[in-house]
Amino acid sequence: MNRVPVRARVGLALLVGLGLLSLLAGRLFPEALAQTCPLGMDPTRPDRTVCELAFGGLWVSLAVGLAAGALSTLIGLTVAAVARLSGGVVEQTLLRAVDAVFALPDVLVVMVLQLAGQSLADAGQGGGLGPFGLMVASLALVGWAGPARMFRNRLATLESQEYVAASRALGGGGLHLLRVHLWPALRPFALAVFLSRLPAAILTESTVSFFGIARMEPMSLGRYLGTSYAALIYEGGGRVVLPAWALLVLLVLGASLASQALSGAPRRAA
Amino acid sequence: MKAVAQRLVRQVVLVPVVAIASYFLMAALPLTTETDAKRQVSRELAASYRRDLGIGEPLGFLRPWEKLFRGERLGTSAQGITGDELLTKLSGSVGVGLMALPLALTWALGFALLRTRWRKGRWSAMGDVVPAVAFGTPVFIPALLLAPAVVERGNLLPELCAALVTSIWPGIFLGTLVGDSLEAELSRDYVRTALGKGLSRATVLRRHVLPNVWPAMLDAVGPVATSLLAGSFAAERVLGLPYFGQLYVLAVLNKQVAVVVVATTTFATLLVIVSLAVEVLRYAVDPRSREATT
Repeated sequence: MNRVPVRARVGLALLVGLGLLSLLAGRLFPEALAQTCPLGMDPTRPDRTVCELAFGGLWVSLAVGLAAGALSTLIGLTVAAVARLSGGVVEQTLLRAVDAVFALPDVLVVMVLQLAGQSLADAGQGGGLGPFGLMVASLALVGWAGPARMFRNRLATLESQEYVAASRALGGGGLHLLRVHLWPALRPFALAVFLSRLPAAILTESTVSFFGIARMEPMSLGRYLGTSYAALIYEGGGRVVLPAWALLVLLVLGASLASQALSGAPRRAA
Repeated sequence: MKAVAQRLVRQVVLVPVVAIASYFLMAALPLTTETDAKRQVSRELAASYRRDLGIGEPLGFLRPWEKLFRGERLGTSAQGITGDELLTKLSGSVGVGLMALPLALTWALGFALLRTRWRKGRWSAMGDVVPAVAFGTPVFIPALLLAPAVVERGNLLPELCAALVTSIWPGIFLGTLVGDSLEAELSRDYVRTALGKGLSRATVLRRHVLPNVWPAMLDAVGPVATSLLAGSFAAERVLGLPYFGQLYVLAVLNKQVAVVVVATTTFATLLVIVSLAVEVLRYAVDPRSREATT
């Protein structure tokens, strides 16, 4: 643990703390939260307090972000590894595909994928994916390009190191190099990339859910604000918006601190 | 020059790829109409969707574009769109984006200068906190906070407010990149020499440092322009602006699949045009870019 930079520890503590708080307050003990909430009732759901809905939504948003972030990091890592192991035309083709996916805004593509996925699910061809699984799959399908590019560049840098050249000269194959020499050096970076995808996935999900396109149940933070936005506009909804905003900001702050500290941390010799 | 041309070709290829991919994805959707329990779209919408997409016809994927160029309506009469209406709505969103761009550049420069000043003082943590607050703020949140004044009381210009809320995150993102570049330039010898010869700090910044910082800014303007255009979707929805973002969201919500195909391709074309403009601008203002490509 001493090798983890202080900023990363603060960021991770913030993330874990928010996760635990949202689980305890939003899911396990919602009654306690309802009785102590200083912000009053939600304008469109008079039986629920603002705190219950915000913390309940945070738990769902966090779960979506963790699953989508992990899946897109895994896909990105696989694509980068295949690109570097294959080289040549395959690598160039994969890089062009990465550029193409990267060029389109996440929100727009996720909306189209949600439309397609929901139509398939309604026709009984959804492959068992519920709204949660569909959102995670959509976010992973648009989110892998960034990690793939970052992993590919990091792998190219690592491959130029002397210890890799030495292993290659001794007859080490591509898979051996990847498993034995490159992966240990790549591991902290993979965690940093995952943490950098986490807020991006949460914010994209929030925006798409806010539009009313995703059917997340229980409601995520974005869907919660989206379902009551007409009431928020006409009744002055600052007290409803501010807690959800504060939770999103804290989540992003935690993930950014941890991600930046881990990706910039020097690697110590074992 | 060859490298620039290659980059341009790669960008332009994106448009037909998006057009064909979105067409076949939408054409493959099983939008059922048979039973009340499983019905996804009305029979009228399903008929318009088959007609607009030219399903089963040779070169059917050209049908939506053919209809648009002829001035015919895509989708149902109530919620469809003609080519003229599409261009009007697109120009509205581009207008909001164009208003947001100078605002984003102002945020960027302001934040970069403040960050350089905060770097060693007790405010240094703000260099991390401000980007986290900006990034953790989806566009719809400031839009919701401004909405009562804009929508209910009609006190502020909705377009200007949309541009303002859309510009915050891209501006701070750009400011972070420019700040890094600014710090690197300020530590160079030529800055010390200029200061040592008696030039004021502001003059050194304006005359010597900023021209070297512009290329870093131009590198990020492409992604920032994308964020501005995509961000305007949420602002338009909350602030009630009937432009392209609103059109797109309603087309997805109402399963107007032909409109989705056309709007997605139009948006990709717009992004490519922005990228090309940035590329040309970079080539014109940055001598290093010209040297790298000759």
